[in-house]
Amino acid sequence: MKKIKLYIPVFLLVLTVIACKIDNYPAPDAQLYGTFLDAETNEPVEQDIIRGSTIEFIEHGYASQTKQVMIVKNDGTYRNNLIFANTYTITPVRGNFVPTEPQEVTVKGETQLDFKVQPYIRVKDVKIEKVGTKVVATFKLQQTVINKVKKIGLYAHPEPAVGEPIRTVLADQEINTVSDPNKIYQLEIDVPSNSSNLKTGNQYFFRVGALIDAPESKFNYAKAVRLTL
Amino acid sequence: MKLFRCILLLPVLFSLSCGDVLDKQPLDKLQGENLFSNPEGVKLYMANLYYQLPIEDFTFFRQGFNWNTGDPNNGGFAPAMVTDEAVHTEFGDFIGNDDFQWWDQGYKLIRDTNILIDIIPTLSVSEDETKALVGESAFIRAYAYFALAKRYGGVPLITSVQKYEGDVESLKVPRSTEKETWDFVLKECDVAIQNLAESWPGGERRATKWVAYALKSRVALHAASLAKYGERAPISGTAVDQKLVGLDKSAAAEYYKAAIEASETIINSGKFSLYKPSPASPEEAAENYRKLFEDPNIALNEVIFIKGFARPGAGTGHNYGIWYQPNQTANGWPHPGRMNPTLDLIDAYETYTDPGKSAPVMTTEAGNDINDYNGFSASKNYKRYDDPAGIYKDKDARLWATAVLPGTAWKGQKIIIQAGFIKPDGSAQLFGGEPITANGKTYYPFGAADRTQYSGFDTWGGNNTRTGVSFKKFLNEGVNVAPGWNQTVSDWADFRYAEILLIYAEAIVESGSGKIEEGAKALNDIRRRAGHTKDIPLTIDNVIRERRVELAFENKRFWDLVRRREYHTLFNNSVRHALIPVLDLRVSPAKYIFIRQTIQRLNPATFDYKQYYRYIPGVGSNGLVQNPQY
Repeated sequence: MKKIKLYIPVFLLVLTVIACKIDNYPAPDAQLYGTFLDAETNEPVEQDIIRGSTIEFIEHGYASQTKQVMIVKNDGTYRNNLIFANTYTITPVRGNFVPTEPQEVTVKGETQLDFKVQPYIRVKDVKIEKVGTKVVATFKLQQTVINKVKKIGLYAHPEPAVGEPIRTVLADQEINTVSDPNKIYQLEIDVPSNSSNLKTGNQYFFRVGALIDAPESKFNYAKAVRLTL
Repeated sequence: MKLFRCILLLPVLFSLSCGDVLDKQPLDKLQGENLFSNPEGVKLYMANLYYQLPIEDFTFFRQGFNWNTGDPNNGGFAPAMVTDEAVHTEFGDFIGNDDFQWWDQGYKLIRDTNILIDIIPTLSVSEDETKALVGESAFIRAYAYFALAKRYGGVPLITSVQKYEGDVESLKVPRSTEKETWDFVLKECDVAIQNLAESWPGGERRATKWVAYALKSRVALHAASLAKYGERAPISGTAVDQKLVGLDKSAAAEYYKAAIEASETIINSGKFSLYKPSPASPEEAAENYRKLFEDPNIALNEVIFIKGFARPGAGTGHNYGIWYQPNQTANGWPHPGRMNPTLDLIDAYETYTDPGKSAPVMTTEAGNDINDYNGFSASKNYKRYDDPAGIYKDKDARLWATAVLPGTAWKGQKIIIQAGFIKPDGSAQLFGGEPITANGKTYYPFGAADRTQYSGFDTWGGNNTRTGVSFKKFLNEGVNVAPGWNQTVSDWADFRYAEILLIYAEAIVESGSGKIEEGAKALNDIRRRAGHTKDIPLTIDNVIRERRVELAFENKRFWDLVRRREYHTLFNNSVRHALIPVLDLRVSPAKYIFIRQTIQRLNPATFDYKQYYRYIPGVGSNGLVQNPQY
């Protein structure tokens, strides 16, 4: 009986030891980061953090070819600190720029990968000011493709991530024509008639955007501006 | 030694045990060959197929069909609540990736149907019965593939029973293109139409030729709209490249034509008509319309296909009667009042004085502020009403029959819906707070002292409407439903003649073909039944508005927004709206004013392009091409 009492723990111990192989798989050990840059001006291309341009990447060495995605911050930068060192096929897709080709990239350690893209529209000479009880935005559009401009908009939100998807108030306008590079477009938000979302004395972020008429295109923006109402 | 003797016995035991134990048939189950050798067995089997049919009835919501067995507690969530028709009192959920899936269940029904289809030629039944079986099984398969196609686009078309013979790979059927899938559904409808009789001898609720025509018109209109409006929401990816999702615009014409032909056949058959088509007054129209949904069996001239909920109990009753009563008539149920029709829907109803367009509710004398949702403003000159339902006067009768309006009677009680008051000093106290005394009278924020005496805006229990009206359509005014699961037994009209008329009108105006006057007549016949006397022209806006109000809460709006690719435009960071009744104590006697505003405690909702298709479950094992962006 004593013997059995001894055997059982020993047996269990042996089972435990052989059951657990040490997990020696490496953790994600590389970082991938970069910026969407305007191929012509070399300036960052403004984005949306939700429902904006995305980066699809496929890790090599697996049959499944599963697409993984990264999103992009408003300032056009992205960063993935938990990626495995490997070769990837990387494609920015459904963006606010002329579609680009997939590229094979070897990610190892701290890897920088900038995307030189041709934004559909450059929103230029932006002025967003408070005029009386209104917030008035004026800007010019420089489009780089022949498509029509579908829509322009002025978006407001308490957070700097403001854009078409993240906004509490908007003033937008369907354009549906090819834009005139010399024309000054103007949009305005009336503060009193949006009093439940725009409170006098508070600070809000305002951003101007324009959408090209292309399949799955996303808005092009100028930088957000902070105003105290 | 004893042990040894026992061991010797073992072979004896083994030899005894080797009878046909493993080949024995269960005594409590019918075997396949027996089931189908008996006409009663076939009937039983058919009943099970009908039960599995994806009918979007009272027991359908985002997590599936027949939600009246097991634990039927879905919190009172209905498909209308992810559209602009209604919101839930508490939940703000919109459409998640896992919502509105129907994959495994779909292929189970298809397999069960294929088993029957494969066996039909071997059955010893009369020629008529064989024909009926062929027709019914084609109808069921069409219905099932329609439910798949509108969720997933092109799907694997499995038309006979698959047998596993050791090779899994041979069972994997790739997706057909979306075009092939829709064509297959229409072809199955045709098989059903050709084989089904015009009626069943005992009036059974089974598919007939007319039900098959009705299904075909619905399917064809859906496919046609996808072809015409697919480009409103472009998507890309492997599934698009292989045409597994998406239809060419050129396909629209043939589908609209099919929709026109199928609905026209039903119309010209003379077998169907609208229930009480020419009421003498809007009040009468409202009562007729209400009764039609309280019990569709009173209108067998209009109702083409009914799904019955025959008796209280799991699998046979449903839960509209408990979830959606106004709080005051909860009848002991702890969580009523959960369907809150929105102002967005209310606005769509026409008025009798200015027909032919949506009539947004004007709350101020100026009438220039229908887009102002900022809440009460002391500087505005609000219209004042003694009777809170007064603001809805002149609105389409169907609004009165679809929603319980504030101050109207329901089950013998005056339903009180009040969001607060404007104090005599001109400041607003909304959505709670203490009662106040003014002009020598005590006023309660929600219109009454006790929480069983009002039906609006109190957040307690999630039982009070937050949009300003409660829900009425389908509810039975004369029956007090017991406060328990699956106790409601009203029947569901899956196809009714009004929908066929609207399909006909829409297909004509969208395709620019067919008989325009007939299409306009179809549209105006429905309006006439609702008490309208002035005809309006056949335009797409008129048809869509008519669909919204006539078919409200019949679970059509969700698919209308999908097939016409309007969801992402309507729900783009969008809030839904309420019309809140507020007692104005600045005047004596106090009167009601109304404020248009965004619904309390409800986040904006956004519909993404990719959501027009659901993801296909299990691509890792079934090897199918996934839909874009999943």
